[in-house]
Amino acid sequence: MPEGAGSGTRGAWFPRWFWPSFATPATLWLVVFFVVPFYVILAIAFGQLDQIFLTPIPVYNPLHWNANAFVDVVQQFTTSGSVYQSALWHTLVFVGIATAICLLIGYPVAYFIARHAGRHKTLFLVLFIAPFWISYMMRMLAWMNLLQPNGYVNRGLEALGLIDQPIQWLNGKPITVILGLAYGYVPYMILPLYGTLDRINTATLEASRDLGAGQIHTFFRVTLPLSRQGILAGIVIVTLPMFGDYYTTNLLASTRNTAMVGTLIVSSMGSSLVQQGASLVLLLLLVLLLPMLYYLRETSRASELVSGA
Amino acid sequence: MSEHPIERRKPLSRRDFLRRAGMTGIALPSMAAILAACGSDNGGGGGSASPSAAFQLARPDNPVTLPLFDSNPPIADGLSPEAGPLRIIGYPDYIWNRVLKKFTNEFGAEVEYTQYATPEEMLREIQTHGSDFDLWVTTTVENVGKVATAQLIQPLNRTYLPNFDANAWDGVKSQYFDVGSVYSIPYTIYETGIAYRNDIVTEDVAAMDNPYDILFDTKYAGQTHLLNGARDTLSVPLFRMGESVSTDDPAVLEQAKQMLLDGVSSMNWKFDHVDYNELNNQFAIHHTWSGQLTYYIYYLPEGVTIDQFTWVWPPQEVGGKAGVLATDVFAIPKGAQNPVLAHALINMLYDGDTALENYSYEGFQPPNKAYSIDKVIADGIVPENLRNTLLTEDHLPLGSRPLEVQEWELEPATTQLYQQIYTEVTGGV
Repeated sequence: MPEGAGSGTRGAWFPRWFWPSFATPATLWLVVFFVVPFYVILAIAFGQLDQIFLTPIPVYNPLHWNANAFVDVVQQFTTSGSVYQSALWHTLVFVGIATAICLLIGYPVAYFIARHAGRHKTLFLVLFIAPFWISYMMRMLAWMNLLQPNGYVNRGLEALGLIDQPIQWLNGKPITVILGLAYGYVPYMILPLYGTLDRINTATLEASRDLGAGQIHTFFRVTLPLSRQGILAGIVIVTLPMFGDYYTTNLLASTRNTAMVGTLIVSSMGSSLVQQGASLVLLLLLVLLLPMLYYLRETSRASELVSGA
Repeated sequence: MSEHPIERRKPLSRRDFLRRAGMTGIALPSMAAILAACGSDNGGGGGSASPSAAFQLARPDNPVTLPLFDSNPPIADGLSPEAGPLRIIGYPDYIWNRVLKKFTNEFGAEVEYTQYATPEEMLREIQTHGSDFDLWVTTTVENVGKVATAQLIQPLNRTYLPNFDANAWDGVKSQYFDVGSVYSIPYTIYETGIAYRNDIVTEDVAAMDNPYDILFDTKYAGQTHLLNGARDTLSVPLFRMGESVSTDDPAVLEQAKQMLLDGVSSMNWKFDHVDYNELNNQFAIHHTWSGQLTYYIYYLPEGVTIDQFTWVWPPQEVGGKAGVLATDVFAIPKGAQNPVLAHALINMLYDGDTALENYSYEGFQPPNKAYSIDKVIADGIVPENLRNTLLTEDHLPLGSRPLEVQEWELEPATTQLYQQIYTEVTGGV
């Protein structure tokens, strides 16, 4: 046996580093595409600004970092009526409501496919995921046409007698942005939910029924708790990109009343406020860290329960 | 008439003093580096060796001859065009592909066109990878002095630009921000004014005491658009107040900000360039560039004709309010690998027929005397009812008219203040 070879059954044929080396591509990927760019963002947020061209000068030595821009952004967040505070508030509300809508739409759809679609399961799954095949941008542009004052949405509502005047959907209405987000991201909610619901052992449900629980009771006492990991995964998968989203509000609203943190970050890239933009990225990361940690804790707890069982 | 910013500057408050002192402290090292660079060579245009004289904000009453550096000479005379490809950096679609193909056919060099949406993005690219490009379309007037002094662009060799010398309007051959066009050649010239649907807007905007009031008329809330850029957006309240669009007075800028924030609430403005989706019934008024109206023709929704649009440039109207007259310029980055080709394309774009051909597509007017306004109208490039979008040499020289018509260079700290206000007002959308 070569020196350093594993002594376990699976490692007996290979050196000890063999299996861990499989993580190398992912590690490299993470370092090149996350760790390094993240450090560059730090270096910009805490760096300097060329005072002639107003372009960022990254400072890579933490000993020379300057937190002025970061502190400025934090202060802006706490200043009543500032655009930063408004954007943060919009982001939290829009993402919260849109995620709830995604869940309300996605759960029944995933439940139907997993439990009642029978042999057409794949067909339904493909049909529900079909919008994925068209780019997000194209779908939003399509909505822009549908939501025009003389678009099909207004025409339909008028034909049904629900409105007298066309609704100015694209005139900076938060509801349009929320619906746009929900529409754009709902497939991301369906997939993890379907995966979880499909894996629930039917014997568990039958046992519940055998013990006298009705359908509703079984759903709330068995199905829903067992699908908790899927719900959490769906929420995480949907909310993370939503928090950074800027094109939905830019395309469907494009007013200050619907500005999100993402729009501030993007606009800062083309201006002298790039340090503020980098600081916003860091603050957004901090905000998102809490739900991510909660998700990881729940996932690990669920794994422990499964392995314990 | 707007006062010169220096004349109307108020005493600084303690807070303003500290803020400015802080900004100056930060600015000094970078400024010093540029000035040191300027001082290391005998500024050809600057005359004296005084570094502080080498970098200064250009004004019509303080025209700037940009310095030459031994380390950054123009190309020699009589060189043959390189093999290419000619690498251009510029706004999307700012030169017609057909013209670029014509260039390829004539010079045998392919053209690679890299698009950027904003001048700031282009500037950043030039700062970091300037030698990756041969021609910069377009440098803004605000940046010409800075990029020339920092040696990011190279002086031009006019022997390669006979068409410019023959056809350019006399008034653009030597402008206050680059006397003698040492580093820059104007590409397009345009007004910033007010476009509106005359079947929706009932007022005669041109006859209004203050045409900028129409952009704040709540009858048109939700149907009014402003240009999305710090200088252009802030020019609206500043002109409305009768202030300079290049003011550095924080109190005036604060007032302008409040006016815009009020307008955001009452008018629900959209900040954009207007395209098909906006023209399609959500559009009544747009504070925009004159060149943009030529695009409208291609975006008109069903049932709307170009006759339903009216253009107002306040300086042209009775009473002559202020308004912006702007020019975008060509420059050649220092270290360009195909500078002869770059000169050749600039020269080609100053050929009368080519200029008109290119104009018919990209929509912004070239300051070229080889065509007449009547020809532009006859060729259908601009419809008759929008004849007043067209400029003539009579509108020049830039910035020295009785009314202020040009956005000048700003001090860096002031530029940042403009951008902060812009972000505060628009939310970055």
